[in-house]
Amino acid sequence: MRKLPSITKHLFLCCLAGSSFTAQAEDKFRVCADPLNPPYSTKLLDGYENKIAALFAKQLNQEVEYFWLPARIGFIRNTLKAENDNGDGFKCDVVMGVPSGYDLTETSKPYFHSTYALLIAKGRGWDDITSATQLANLPLQKQESLKIAMFDRGPGTTWLQKTGLLAQGIPYQSMTGDSEHNVAMQIDKDLRAGTIDMVILWGPMAGYVKSQSPKDSYIVIPMESTPDMKFDFSIAMGVRHGDNARKQQLNDLIDKNMPEIQSIIGSYGIPLLPIPAQAEKKDDDD
Amino acid sequence: MTPVKNWLLASTVATLLAAPTVSTANSDLEKLTQDPANWATWGGDYAGTRYSKLSEINAQNVKNLQPAWSFSTGVLRGHEGGPLVVNGVMYIHTPFPNTVYAIDQKTQSVIWEFTPTMDADVTIPVMCCDTVNRGLAYGDGKIFLQQSDTVLTALDAKTGKRVWSVQNGDPKLGMTNTNAPIVVKDKVITGISGGEFGVRGFLVAYDIRTGQLVWKGYSMGPDKDTLIDPKKSTAWKDGKVQPVGENSSLSTWEGDQWKIGGGTTWGWYSYDPKLNLVYYGSGNPSTWNPTQRPGDNKWSMSLWARDADTGEVKWVYQMTPHDEWDYDGINETVLVDQEVKGKMHKTIVHFDRNGFGYTLDRETGELLVAEKFDKSVNWASHVDMKSGRPEVVPEFSTEHNGEDVNTVGTCPAALGAKNMAPVSYSPQTGLFYISGNHLCMEYEPFEVSYTAGQPYVGATLSMMPAGADVLTGKKDGTTNLGQFTAFDAKTGKIAWSNKEQFSVWSGSLATAGGVVFYGTLEGYLKAVDAKTGKELYKFKTPSGIIGNVNTWEFDGTQYVGVMSGIGGWAGIGIAAGLDDGSDSTNSEGLGAVGAYRSLGSYTKLGGTLTVFALPK
Repeated sequence: MRKLPSITKHLFLCCLAGSSFTAQAEDKFRVCADPLNPPYSTKLLDGYENKIAALFAKQLNQEVEYFWLPARIGFIRNTLKAENDNGDGFKCDVVMGVPSGYDLTETSKPYFHSTYALLIAKGRGWDDITSATQLANLPLQKQESLKIAMFDRGPGTTWLQKTGLLAQGIPYQSMTGDSEHNVAMQIDKDLRAGTIDMVILWGPMAGYVKSQSPKDSYIVIPMESTPDMKFDFSIAMGVRHGDNARKQQLNDLIDKNMPEIQSIIGSYGIPLLPIPAQAEKKDDDD
Repeated sequence: MTPVKNWLLASTVATLLAAPTVSTANSDLEKLTQDPANWATWGGDYAGTRYSKLSEINAQNVKNLQPAWSFSTGVLRGHEGGPLVVNGVMYIHTPFPNTVYAIDQKTQSVIWEFTPTMDADVTIPVMCCDTVNRGLAYGDGKIFLQQSDTVLTALDAKTGKRVWSVQNGDPKLGMTNTNAPIVVKDKVITGISGGEFGVRGFLVAYDIRTGQLVWKGYSMGPDKDTLIDPKKSTAWKDGKVQPVGENSSLSTWEGDQWKIGGGTTWGWYSYDPKLNLVYYGSGNPSTWNPTQRPGDNKWSMSLWARDADTGEVKWVYQMTPHDEWDYDGINETVLVDQEVKGKMHKTIVHFDRNGFGYTLDRETGELLVAEKFDKSVNWASHVDMKSGRPEVVPEFSTEHNGEDVNTVGTCPAALGAKNMAPVSYSPQTGLFYISGNHLCMEYEPFEVSYTAGQPYVGATLSMMPAGADVLTGKKDGTTNLGQFTAFDAKTGKIAWSNKEQFSVWSGSLATAGGVVFYGTLEGYLKAVDAKTGKELYKFKTPSGIIGNVNTWEFDGTQYVGVMSGIGGWAGIGIAAGLDDGSDSTNSEGLGAVGAYRSLGSYTKLGGTLTVFALPK
């Protein structure tokens, strides 16, 4: 049953038509978020998505209200698109981070652009690595001692495969079943324990792992996209399809607060790239 | 991964009540299933035929059938599985929170009820496809409940008091359970769900009295994990049954990927007491992207025969090597003796998500028949009987076409030509009755996907009606999404097939009355003529049916019962998973998309048991 996420891409569209209501009628800024997914969001409100939500809510003179659910299969279905128990709307209205053009939600304009990065723990015999291609050109014997994490579906895994290093990859689940433990936390733990020495990790998570250890514990090498391997993505906010007023409101807030947003995200050590113009979803089919 | 075994034993609650002698549990259950007054296991019998010798309700009088009584379960999510009836007492179950009710049929009142303590915050987020449960098992005076949070609980069938519980898996690793266990001799056998979290599947046996682990056989990994004896365990190769050889699983994976290899075991299990073998199917390999897991990925997508006492593999047969389509191989296995090509065989029959109906010799694993039970199926032209492998049609392979190309019109869709709803078999007609889907799919690459904070390039999967004749595969512009099909597994031929507006997601029942029953997503319980498929009766139950129709006798009257309650993948996936119609590439599906949308106008959520009988 694994392919559900893609199959449910258009979940409940049927039921949503005509039931969207205007953002102006709301008195709360209602966010769907994972209670333990650093550096994105946590119940302690110390993730960068929490801070941006607080910033937006303040400017709207609203309170932030969270609907918490671990970000796993069915997250959008069970949060943004799930009706309230009292049947008067939805459990929450905004997902603070989704890829630009994500089709489970309508997406706002992008508010940052990052990339996957090769993160190498220093002092494990790999300190001379300065580019990912070096790994591909190592002598076979040296390659066999690689301890590099990989994730199902991630571009890091595709890269390992295309460079002939797939057999060296140590497979990790893209999502954990543990609501008290997330992927970035697991990678941080295993890097420190020496279970793995390196990983190709999405920018925000790479920033998180780096921030959990003393300065200069890691080499961080941004991965470069090629025509058949995409490592860099724009991140936007997600609202329900058809919730155009709220989308407009978010776009205005993003425009108005761009320097502040960039500074919040920058403070998490996340590798940032310029937002490409074409990253914004071109067609709005609603 | 955390070794499950250690804390599993520690957490066993062994409050041993005075249990009857165990050695008889097996023969007791066999005896119970031979009396058609009972419906004592999910399949009606160990063979999983879902056939009843009862004939009070028959093809002539079924038109007079009436609901006799009904019972609300009080739970809104999808209701799979069906009622058990043992010595006059009915036992029903619900989706999460997995409440069990023992019901007095005379008064239609609750004798006892049991709701396990489970942490919804921990369990529900890891259940991919609704919080379903496929039912209970009975044996040794106990009711066995396989809870969503993987705890397997034994209840005293008389009082509902918990006798023991054992932690079968670790939800923190994404493990959950949805299956119905079975009782075999002095063991209760269960499996695991969670392929989408990279869970490595296993079948496992616990002591029926204490809950202690007896054996556990994984779907992939070293031979000691799979319980494959390289010299004794066999597979079908080069036209004959041969020993599988060493590391038959590991050699088909790159590196360590097998450790999160999938092959979960969330379907139905059957048992042959004479051969002492347990049969089941394993699910898809769990790395989602097929190009990222080169190799056959054994033994995902396979049929298995294991020794009930030791778990050792007798034989194994892989149906879909290197799955690219999510044709999860967990569907039920039915054990019947049939003459194939002039020779009697003890056969195992399995209708796979991949659209092929397989007949094998269940003693040896010899491949006898592999034919499409829906001729719209096109991902493979046929199964090569010598190698046992499907002849994949490159046009419908995303991997062949490349991940950056649209792959259009692959049939069946990922949810299969048939999903988990178990078939029935009538020895009177020699036919199997298949609850089917009639859908195809399309992969459109370059969508951005996002899993728990990681973006990547994925694909959009849309589904559309097959639009082709089940019997010939010829395009006919039809928009029905379901078929109910009678199939001869001796010859691989379709006898008849009825169109259904929506996918048929309910397990069928065949009876000696010459009637076959099944439920529909709109909520109809239907009775059809076993020989011809002619519709003889239908009744609209309170919600869509994804449960199994069962039958039994009480106080001299034959009853037919089914749980309705839309949900499961059928509820969240089928009804909503289709394209929204705005995409011009899916124009041919528009009619059916409209039809799926209308499911919401036919039925709403809510679990109810409805019991039918002829008027007195």
